[in-house]
Amino acid sequence: MNKQSIQKSAASGLVFGIIVIFFALIGFTVVFSGLIQKALGQSLGVGQIPSISSFLIFLGLLGIWNGWRASRQDKHETLSVKKVLGRSAIAGLVAGVLVMVYALIVGALNNSGINLRTYLSQLSSESVRFFLFNQTIVVGGLIHVFYSTLMAVIGGFLAVASERSRERVKSTRESIQKWSQDRWLGKLQGNPYVSYVLMGVVLLLLVLLPRTWGAYWNYVMGTVGIYVLLGLGLNIIVGLSGQLVLGYVAFFAIGAYTFALTTSPEPHNLVWNFWIALGVAVLAAALSGILIGLPIMRLRGDYLAIVTLGFGEIIRILLRSDILKDFTMGPRGVRNIAGPTLFGRSFTTDVDFMYLIILAVLLSIFLARRWQESSIGRAWLAISQDETVAQATGVDTQKYKLLALSLGAAFAGLGGALFASRNQFTGPEDHALMVSINVLVLVIVGGMGSIPGVVLGAFALKGLPEILRELESYRLLVFGALLVVMMIIRPEGLWPARRPKLEVPVEQDHEPVPLPATAGGEK
Amino acid sequence: MKTVLEARQVSKIFGGLVAVNKVDLVVPEGAIASIIGPNGAGKTTLFNCISGFYTPELGDVLFNGRKIQGMLTDKVAAMGIARTYQNIRLFKNMSAVENVMVGFEPHLKHGWMKAMLKTPDYQKEQKHIINEASRLLHYVGLAGLGDNLALNLPYGAQRRLEIARALANQPKLLLLDEPTAGMNPQETDAMKDFIRHIRDDLEITIILIEHDMRVVMNISDQISVLDYGQKIAEGNPKEIQANPRVIEAYLGPGAAALSEKYRREKTHDA
Amino acid sequence: MEALRKKFSLTLPQNSIRIIRIIAALLLLALIIVRAMDVAAKSQFGADTWLRLSVSGLIIGGMYALIAIGYTLVYGILFMINFAHGEVMMIGTFGGYFVFEAFNAIQVSGADGSQLSFLNAYPVIAILLAFLAGMTIAALSGLFLEKIAYRPLRGAPRLVPLISAIGASIFLQNAGQLLFGPQRRQYINPVVLDRGIGWNLEVAGSTVVLTYTGIFSLILSAILMVGLYLLVQRTKLGRAMRAVAQDKKTAALMGINVDQIISRTFVISGALAGAAGVMWGIHNGLFNYFVGFLPGIKAFTAAVLGGIGNIPGAMLGGMFLGIVESVGPAVLGIDFQLKDVLAFTILILVLIFRPSGILGEALTEEKV
Repeated sequence: MNKQSIQKSAASGLVFGIIVIFFALIGFTVVFSGLIQKALGQSLGVGQIPSISSFLIFLGLLGIWNGWRASRQDKHETLSVKKVLGRSAIAGLVAGVLVMVYALIVGALNNSGINLRTYLSQLSSESVRFFLFNQTIVVGGLIHVFYSTLMAVIGGFLAVASERSRERVKSTRESIQKWSQDRWLGKLQGNPYVSYVLMGVVLLLLVLLPRTWGAYWNYVMGTVGIYVLLGLGLNIIVGLSGQLVLGYVAFFAIGAYTFALTTSPEPHNLVWNFWIALGVAVLAAALSGILIGLPIMRLRGDYLAIVTLGFGEIIRILLRSDILKDFTMGPRGVRNIAGPTLFGRSFTTDVDFMYLIILAVLLSIFLARRWQESSIGRAWLAISQDETVAQATGVDTQKYKLLALSLGAAFAGLGGALFASRNQFTGPEDHALMVSINVLVLVIVGGMGSIPGVVLGAFALKGLPEILRELESYRLLVFGALLVVMMIIRPEGLWPARRPKLEVPVEQDHEPVPLPATAGGEK
Repeated sequence: MKTVLEARQVSKIFGGLVAVNKVDLVVPEGAIASIIGPNGAGKTTLFNCISGFYTPELGDVLFNGRKIQGMLTDKVAAMGIARTYQNIRLFKNMSAVENVMVGFEPHLKHGWMKAMLKTPDYQKEQKHIINEASRLLHYVGLAGLGDNLALNLPYGAQRRLEIARALANQPKLLLLDEPTAGMNPQETDAMKDFIRHIRDDLEITIILIEHDMRVVMNISDQISVLDYGQKIAEGNPKEIQANPRVIEAYLGPGAAALSEKYRREKTHDA
Repeated sequence: MEALRKKFSLTLPQNSIRIIRIIAALLLLALIIVRAMDVAAKSQFGADTWLRLSVSGLIIGGMYALIAIGYTLVYGILFMINFAHGEVMMIGTFGGYFVFEAFNAIQVSGADGSQLSFLNAYPVIAILLAFLAGMTIAALSGLFLEKIAYRPLRGAPRLVPLISAIGASIFLQNAGQLLFGPQRRQYINPVVLDRGIGWNLEVAGSTVVLTYTGIFSLILSAILMVGLYLLVQRTKLGRAMRAVAQDKKTAALMGINVDQIISRTFVISGALAGAAGVMWGIHNGLFNYFVGFLPGIKAFTAAVLGGIGNIPGAMLGGMFLGIVESVGPAVLGIDFQLKDVLAFTILILVLIFRPSGILGEALTEEKV
């Protein structure tokens, strides 16, 4: 083993040690062990410390990953058992020793009777003892070292095993793919009715599910739906036209408040028809998009981000302040907002609302697709990729950027109105910066400029946290990390947008141009 | 002959640096006019003044008799001036056809409402520009490559795609900024013929910035030489080749005399 | 004047927009002046209030300036807004807090034999160490921030590092919340820097207290700013930084290790933000994980105000913003809870009326 390899292994161990310590400090060790315990089918009360075995599983997974990473330092080399043993052992040992040092310090402080929770809010006495496997600090620390090393070595072996079997796995997968392509998938793909059937199934699910899965899921999925609306709008602004807007919540707030103020008995006693108010809310948001957009058209990406963030905050602070109290009820918010009515009947149950949101989402997806695939979508994309050149190619960038802002804002207005109507309430804190950040994250994680990406992102970022309620407090932490990681390893998102095939064959109506069909040249 | 582009005493100043200094330029219709000069002579800056990227501090730029300095670049493009860039600037993550289709933008009549409703005339227009874009790709020799992303095309193809995008603007004046940069001799020859074809087939006036003297001397009707932001010579290829100031600008002071001597010796030998 | 008029008449077509903009700016200015005179005529506040407000504005402004320098340094070199810079300041605040807490827990016998906490027995050492800790940990977080979140993205399209920075900001903020809890904490100052006390000035018949913490912060931020200015202008590192800011490629050709210089820039800006964070804690007392957010955005505003990329500009911008924020609501006769709105409005107005700041030509170069 050469020096560089040892250094790399030690660095990997260091990183993993820090990760384990960080997880312990933010209480993630306890929460995730609890999740593992639940996944194994054992019950766990609220606030109860999970079992040591689930903690060992959690640590083991991290340790294996550590060993795996440390042993695969170079993509092109073939791994030998000897190499792997050394590397993974070093990585595991470094991580283990680091964790042990942490455990010793924290354990000693805890034993001396200092209440660590006053400084580090997750380090209760029980969680510290849990981290030491309920042993004394020395034994607990040593267990960490041994266990980390052991698991890292196992991880190293797994890396070797996976590499040796890679060829076989690949050939097996290929043969399965070939088989399924020959037998059924190929036929299905060629069959035009399949997509109709699929669409029918989805529609059927959309009709049936809201009736069957109960109010809670209707609430959760309704929120997801509203975030799909917001995502579609921001996708037009950020994903297509390339304007990084951080104050998207401003449009959401304008939609929600317009709807609220025109339908609530307080403070203005304008009890308008639901549909008219909805239309007005959408229009108001779209108009505000133009008004906010006009003065800031010339700003470049990063300035635009900060300015729009400022707009969002201004609107929230104004809504909360006493200045607009008579107009918008100040911090109390607007109550008794109307629900949908049609032909004199009111539709305000959770099922009705779910249908309404589904309709809105389907309509919005339809519209967003139309725009995206039109010349307008192409102009937006051109602007996002090189604004200067787009303009010099004849694209009226100001017009298109404003159009993107106002159309995107219209979606937010629709989402805001539905949100206010469903909750029958809207207040300034519904419109905090976090909404903008959430929507931005879902657009980016899903894949900028990709409509399926938006839907996927909304489910992942609004639906999943509802399912994994334990992780609720880590949601934003994970969002933040996800943004960084996505930018580094997969900036195009989970479900990247694809370009359509458009070229049509040409009849030779021109003289052939004397150009050799160059394939080469320097690239 | 009709004048397509006229620059009068155009000057562009960056901070203390006069990048273009009182340059006059007259380009007649149907000409291929070249601008040459050493690196940093202000050629690209002059291009930027013509295509609306920069507003010159002094002087006028007239296109078909209309002042265009200070106009936004999209308006300039809509009037009929298209350009390419020294370092290729395509919409990298769009397909080649889409790149060209963006070029039709100034001539489209659609609005967002029509796009939303997919009205018949909107659909007809879309079909038309898809056909036209495919034809342009065919014209520049990229038939069949249209659905590739622009960034996946080889270098030479990217240069030609840029020209196709510019042609989609249906320009009357085409500004080419070093179209043969980075090409091998065969490709350069092909590009040279292609430029001449554009002028002959499509009747587009062309202004060219070029370093490759074989290209310049071969296809130019008129050559202007810039040095330190000033026009130091203008004329047809023969005149430029014999102009001592040009030789000095390229090779340094004293070079003109040397070259004269060299030529005399050469003729003497022959 | 003649030259100016000539320039305008020559470039009228496009610049009608510019003229409209100038007129709008003048109108706005007139409006503000009229409003201010109106308020002044009512003479709601005495001279003592004005003094108090301006002094507190200066103090906060000094902290904004320190943070703004960080934005400006990084922007000057990488052309990106280090969105997570406010969070770096938050980390610094916590660093100083823990030092004070630790020293407060250690008991030593004082000169007269009484039991004192270390904090009060040796306040100078405690304060020095608090600043050292705050600045070091903030500098380190700046360093790692750059290494992890920004360096892999060098050369990517502009939005990419910005999004990464936003992600890092969210991450750090929430890590702070999870680590230290959402509750507000109180800085324990040494007795000599007690927040209530200070010099009492008699102005217009009432007392204005110039708190020691405030004066301390102001002086310290001035010293740090002068130090930074000297560092950038006089040292080899500073020269290298300026060279990298001008042109990375050429700087690399001249034998400058560009990556290292960028790292050091982040270290320096982190340290300054950390110092500002500790000052914030000492001066204001209450803080939590969210402490960096608003100062971060406002310091960015300050940096833009002074022309981003321009170090003296950032200092002036910070001071100006601090004073405007403090005195502005009184001048305009609006509610003090709207001071944040004022700061944001200034940001928007500056960007609308002078979108490239003082950066000016650098933008044009980039355009083509």
